[in-house]
Amino acid sequence: MKLRIALEGLGACAGCEIAILDLHEEILFLLEDLEVDYAPILMDKKILNENVDVLLLSGSVRNKHDAEEAVRLSEKAKITIAFGSCASFGGIPGLANLYATKELLERVYLTTESTDNKEGILPSEEVPPIEQVIKPLKEWVKIDYNIPGCPPEIGRTTSKMIKEMFQMLLNGKPVTLSKKTVCDECDLKREEKKIKRILRWGEGEPDGTRCLLEQGYFCAGPATRAGCEAKCLAALAPCRGCMGPPENVTDQGARMVSAIASIAAVDEKDRVDPKELATMFKDVVGTLYRFTLPSSIISRKVLERKSK
Amino acid sequence: MLGKFEPYIVGFLCNWCGYAGADLAGTSRIQYPPNLRAIRLMCSGRVDPAFILTALKRGADGVLVVGCHPGDCHYINGNLRTERRVALLKKMLSDLGLDDRRVRLEWISASEGQRFAVVVKEFVEEMRALGPNPLEGDMHET
Repeated sequence: MKLRIALEGLGACAGCEIAILDLHEEILFLLEDLEVDYAPILMDKKILNENVDVLLLSGSVRNKHDAEEAVRLSEKAKITIAFGSCASFGGIPGLANLYATKELLERVYLTTESTDNKEGILPSEEVPPIEQVIKPLKEWVKIDYNIPGCPPEIGRTTSKMIKEMFQMLLNGKPVTLSKKTVCDECDLKREEKKIKRILRWGEGEPDGTRCLLEQGYFCAGPATRAGCEAKCLAALAPCRGCMGPPENVTDQGARMVSAIASIAAVDEKDRVDPKELATMFKDVVGTLYRFTLPSSIISRKVLERKSK
Repeated sequence: MLGKFEPYIVGFLCNWCGYAGADLAGTSRIQYPPNLRAIRLMCSGRVDPAFILTALKRGADGVLVVGCHPGDCHYINGNLRTERRVALLKKMLSDLGLDDRRVRLEWISASEGQRFAVVVKEFVEEMRALGPNPLEGDMHET
């Protein structure tokens, strides 16, 4: 019997589904054991009526339709997997939690530079109502496994993670992730843990053999789960943290604050002023919580005082 | 909680200076407000930003971190690491819409019992003026 799977992208960019296609010819071997029953992004079928073994849900819940779809589909599946960083942590769309819903709607429909909406009409007919905040999928439906990554295809040569995930599912084993951090998989040479300032990407010329963080470039490696084989670092691009926090860490941003403070120079000669350190980031929350704000300890901007 | 608002303060005190300073304040019978719940750590450098965020998330109105004066740290520079950690965290908190005065870092040595009392008193008054933590929490109910 083949393992029957369903794919659905909620508030998503379809990158996670494309990541599965990025298995290339390997997908042919997998399809000997897998049957894709439902995947509106890839196939024509628009409604799932039968039960499936595994449901891969990607994207975030941005409106009521997403929420209902997540519940309806997960009831038809034995195993539900939050597939990708949006589903696992809230992802990039989760940064919308830094604004009130009203601000978001006004920006999108009224004030963007290319908007021509003189009547100031906000969409209200035939569109599902927006959810106030982005939450990780596990707060909507029971999730058996989180597969992080933006998208989770990553791996230097093959889509290692996805292949391994399917293999574990086919063998009836629990799906496990690496317990290490990106730094453990990174080839760049680490020497002295001391920085004088945080450089923005594009400032100066990075040394292609040394740890980028030690050179002052912001790299989320120390606070990010391994599994991607440090693919970005292999191409000399700093880690942005898409794999989310490592094992036993809930708050990726807090861990990164800790890591940066630990390597900011404190000796007389190169001393980094604490107040200046905070100003070296253009956008602290957006940088440190790029993919994980909705699943962090303080998961949204505190907009108003709660009246008691 | 009924009646007047009493700020709930969580204190992370280092074993060698902050906690010893608090101890001295106690043994010297110096009066200070009872709003502080002290947690002793070996070094202020042990204060993970996640501890502070968790305290705030659970409704603490203020978080006080106390370490040794610069140069006095029992572990050489743990307090300086914390200074940087707190500075970065404060920036993060204000971006997240919380008043960054809710987190305060102070250097208090083992001989400064009086100063400890003054700092706690000041901080409690500051938090009382600032009002309750807007985050949902469970601390005030207990």
